[in-house]
Amino acid sequence: MSKPTLTTAESVRRLILATLPERDRAGANPVIFGPGADLDSLGLVNFLSDLEYRLAAEFGRELVLASERTMSRTRSPFRDVDSLAAYVVELLGEEKR
Amino acid sequence: MKKLSRVILITGTSRGIGRGLAEHFLKNGDTVCGCSRGPATLRHRRYAHWELEVSDEASVVAMVREVVRRHGRIDALVNNAGIAAMNHALLTPAATAQRILATNFQGTFLFCREAGKAMVRRKVGRIVNFTTVATPLRLEGEALYAASKAAVESFTQVLARELGGTGVTVNAVGPTPVPTDLIRNVPDTKLKALLARQAIHRLGEVADVANVVDFFLSPRSGFVTGQVLYLGGVNG
Repeated sequence: MSKPTLTTAESVRRLILATLPERDRAGANPVIFGPGADLDSLGLVNFLSDLEYRLAAEFGRELVLASERTMSRTRSPFRDVDSLAAYVVELLGEEKR
Repeated sequence: MKKLSRVILITGTSRGIGRGLAEHFLKNGDTVCGCSRGPATLRHRRYAHWELEVSDEASVVAMVREVVRRHGRIDALVNNAGIAAMNHALLTPAATAQRILATNFQGTFLFCREAGKAMVRRKVGRIVNFTTVATPLRLEGEALYAASKAAVESFTQVLARELGGTGVTVNAVGPTPVPTDLIRNVPDTKLKALLARQAIHRLGEVADVANVVDFFLSPRSGFVTGQVLYLGGVNG
């Protein structure tokens, strides 16, 4: 597995921020889902769905972000922008199965 | 005013009811995206075919996203693909049970999940899942098939609630036996006994099924969701 470049990490973060509703983009590491977040579960579905299409367009990979792995983590990757960006970069770094 | 062509995704379009529905919608001027395990048996300028296993997550994700990329939307999803196996429950191999559940339930779930995401984004959409009268009739010899469709019914009703208010409706149609490959191996005596339990004692036709699907897909059916409609006068 090759180490993701800074460019990939940055463009993932940019995509995430661009996909988030404007009112939810405030702060250095905006909260996405959970306590203190605006998005409800349907809002999260919309956001993740939009992000999956944007990631496919940008990186040519058909990712499913709500995977079993996501659900079993102690800390949800959907909590904030940094966590989600790190998770997406991890997925993109994996060999296509 | 020219009628707008809908984009309709139907699973299991190589034969039987799925193929009949695809032809019905094409005749209606719609664009149909279909799939089956094998190659297309239908040629039409508004028909596109994907060869895939409906229980394979990666294939379903790829198909649904490709349809959205090509057409910008999915107006309706018709989850028709299904398999049956007549067998006494105590003589059913685990592999057969797994195959039936994978195609009938997991396939339906995966297409609902992926098409549902695209529909929720646009705040409009229609999903029609396929069940069977074998479930409410508790048909002996079809335990696994009936159970897989009971799962589809339950899933349909819960999903309808989860998507309530999003503009996306989720319903199910339960056809009686229709003369297709699915019932090819059902013995005549069994078939007659089944028809005797219906209020109207005849085999169904693709047109009967298309009529119910048309109703669920109608823009005027926006307040109809979470319903399971059986044909032939069978009650749930």
